[in-house]
Amino acid sequence: MKSGLSPAARWTLWLVSLGVLCAAAAVRLDPQHVVDTDILAMLPPEQDSTAVAAATEQSREAFVDEVLILVSGEDEPATRAAAQAASAASASHGLKPDTTGESLNRLLSVYQAHRYALLDEAQAQRLASGGPAALTNDIATSLASPAGMIDVFGSDPGGHLAAFLGSLPRPYPSFLPDGPFFSAFKDGKRYFLVRTELQGSAFAEQGSRQAVEAVKAATLAAKGACPACEVIYTGAPLFADAARRSAQSESIWLSMASTLLIMLLIAWVFRSFAPHVLAGLQLVASVLAAGAAVILCFGSIEIITLVFGTTLLGIAIDYAFLYFSEYWFGEAAPEKVMGAVRPGLYMGLLTGVVAFAFLLLAGFPALTQFAVFSVAGLLEAGLLVVLLFPMSLTRFPQVPVNAAVLWPQRFIQAACRPSRWRWILPLIALLLSVPGWFKLHTSDDVRSLQNLPSAMLAADEHIRVTLGQVPPPGFFLEEAPDLQQALQHEEALFAEVSANAPQLSNLGLSRFLPSETSQQRSLAAWQKVFADHQSLRASFVHLGLPAKLADRTLVEWQQASHTPFTSEQLFAAAPELKRFVIADGSRLALLSTVTGGTDIDPATLSAYATTVPGAVFVDPLARVAASFQRLRVRSTWLVILGYLLISALLVWRYGRREALRMLFPPLLAMGLTLGALGWLGEPVNIFVVVALILILGLGRDYAVFLREGGARRSPALAVSLSALTMLFSFGLLAASGIPALHVFGVATLVGILASYLSAPLSLPPAEEPA
Amino acid sequence: MNLRTLSSVVCLCIASIASADTPPASFAASFVQTRTVPNFDTPIVSHGNMRYDRVNGFHWEVTAPYHYLFEMNGKLAHEELPDGTKRDLDPDQTPWLAAVEHIFISALSGDRAELMTYFSVASKPAADGTALTLTPKLGAIASAISRIEVEESAPGQPRHLQIFETSGGHMDIRFSPLAAKPPS
Repeated sequence: MKSGLSPAARWTLWLVSLGVLCAAAAVRLDPQHVVDTDILAMLPPEQDSTAVAAATEQSREAFVDEVLILVSGEDEPATRAAAQAASAASASHGLKPDTTGESLNRLLSVYQAHRYALLDEAQAQRLASGGPAALTNDIATSLASPAGMIDVFGSDPGGHLAAFLGSLPRPYPSFLPDGPFFSAFKDGKRYFLVRTELQGSAFAEQGSRQAVEAVKAATLAAKGACPACEVIYTGAPLFADAARRSAQSESIWLSMASTLLIMLLIAWVFRSFAPHVLAGLQLVASVLAAGAAVILCFGSIEIITLVFGTTLLGIAIDYAFLYFSEYWFGEAAPEKVMGAVRPGLYMGLLTGVVAFAFLLLAGFPALTQFAVFSVAGLLEAGLLVVLLFPMSLTRFPQVPVNAAVLWPQRFIQAACRPSRWRWILPLIALLLSVPGWFKLHTSDDVRSLQNLPSAMLAADEHIRVTLGQVPPPGFFLEEAPDLQQALQHEEALFAEVSANAPQLSNLGLSRFLPSETSQQRSLAAWQKVFADHQSLRASFVHLGLPAKLADRTLVEWQQASHTPFTSEQLFAAAPELKRFVIADGSRLALLSTVTGGTDIDPATLSAYATTVPGAVFVDPLARVAASFQRLRVRSTWLVILGYLLISALLVWRYGRREALRMLFPPLLAMGLTLGALGWLGEPVNIFVVVALILILGLGRDYAVFLREGGARRSPALAVSLSALTMLFSFGLLAASGIPALHVFGVATLVGILASYLSAPLSLPPAEEPA
Repeated sequence: MNLRTLSSVVCLCIASIASADTPPASFAASFVQTRTVPNFDTPIVSHGNMRYDRVNGFHWEVTAPYHYLFEMNGKLAHEELPDGTKRDLDPDQTPWLAAVEHIFISALSGDRAELMTYFSVASKPAADGTALTLTPKLGAIASAISRIEVEESAPGQPRHLQIFETSGGHMDIRFSPLAAKPPS
């Protein structure tokens, strides 16, 4: 050890640096929200208007906290009792019961008070043109029809208010409100829907766990009340919990398998206990520092970062292997080992940090976290090697050279012999890859990020089908300077949709709050009907109805409100309807959608939107996919830029000719990886691009290590051990159930293998072992 | 809530009668309907006839003081309005109609489940059949209807139907059985 630092100072320096980092992270940490499973939070902020961003968030919030429990059974009273028990149990576990029924009653009062303002355009035109005769016909029809004989309010003889109420959108087309529930009778069974809402964050661990506990308790309670009843449930918080459990369990087994394989490898090669202790210390410290850095920067850690971060184990240990190989089987004396490995270690660390730091430029929160995680982990791993290894490994090792040590050197030496196979084999591999390149396809579907349990997906599908609830393909946004103009735009849009696609049902604020223009038109129509009292009486008498009924109808009109009702009155009655309104500074936008079809083409809906000023159709899934696509393209450019930057570094360090030789293996590995992905039918997405960045970095590391050490025993061993450990850690991801991680694992598996096998090409063919 | 569905109690009650243990294959009657409106001292009286059978469906016709016709068979429904307008009703565009059709078909098949969902049903033997009292269970219906009373002239055949509204309104329909015949 030439450094002037004493062992105590080294320990202190290391412990203090790690301790300060962890302490700062602990201060920043939100204990309720350590691990975040919100996939969409990992996406970059959209560059659209704030109204679109707010609408996207609002439309998402409308369902992310919802938990639906569907209780069904053949015995109606028992099933109702089971639903009541489920509702009570879920409420006692923190799920907020639905209050739609209360809002409905308040809404009915508002509509009753302003019933003359609720005619739609066709009705208003008919009454305006038909006058008293049209009203009399409506009243006579309502009195005679077997479906209109009861006047719910005692003041709607023509059924006009009932028609408006009957046309209101229904949240679940197959179900009717039934006290605190929605219920339906289907296929010989009575269904009760218990609607609840999570009060915390659906994607926070505590919130989603609370939802899971609540539905479990609800199921138990329902089964207790009605053992024969069936209880199924769905909701975003439940999916979030499943995703977290899946990722955590994968993270644990991947870490354990990776660690176990690495320990076995160390034991096989070094046959000593010290490498286990030092490598273990390095891995723990690296992951600790990486996690602390992420929490310090972001407050919590994304689930994908956690799973990806497992692979840091494989990279961090590279530096340890470089040191161990030189110490145990190299030529340098123990106190000279650091000096011997320093160029390769520093160059590897520099290029590794540069490669990961490039991910910071991707503008993708998940990649940003991963970059912070990896850079911090690599720096900690390097720091530990520099500070602690030299003072820990001071005696001459007594481990004999064994077969495990010799084969890497033999492989490198064999591959460096002058032979035509040095270019024939890579050429054959490349030629085999070429058809694969043409089979490549891209996929930017956000749904590929998660592996949700099929049973949960089936339950969700079953509930949605039973409820008759078809998820809309997106939403409309109608922007205008004020609410009234926005409502008019929405009414025009709905008219366009209804004219072209009558099978669709429109859902938006104007369905509950007609524009002032529409309300005034309705009031004007009624004004015409009641303008001539004698004509009204004559019309009633003409159909055999008492003239006094006409007088009574007129009095009701005279006593009723003749002013439109306002948004304030509506929102006071039903606050949840505010979700349709997006306030965007000086402007305002309304959120609306259509339901009722399973094959609604977003392009058609976009075309409808273009016919109305200020209206636009937003397809959230397509927008997310477009974000991923932009990121993929941007990241690809970053790979190219990173490659050029590393090229410049290598040219600066080794000269142009050597640098070109060193740059060839990483390029070859990338080509083979892409070819293999094509042949395997795996998609190219943002995660494959990340894998390519890693492959590029590893290929470069191997080239640097070999170039610095030649085909000697210790660098050959270090490179081989690195490749094996990388295969153990990254390659294991190929077994992941999460599609995004799986393809990442496949890409790195192929890429690392190709990088290692092609690494000797970075040395000149005549190179002989020292 | 689809209030038109709730307001279709007449159809529902007729259906409930038809849902006797052995629903009749067909039923035909003339009726006199007397409606009393709150704060209105003149009853509104109308006359007509109704019939249903499993093949031709449901026919409801008011003949005086004006003409009105409602026919439903399966999912198809047709109306003739007092001013002579004729219109076909599409259940897909008329949710209440789909619900009525469902209730009606269920009842004709002897299924009272739909009825029991909305009402507590109390029955007692009457001179010629059964007397039923239906009390609404749900808030929305209960806010409009106090109770419904039905008397049978024979099992599965309504004779007297009364609907008592919470607003004070009252509807009284008296049926006089006719010989069943298919609609022309």
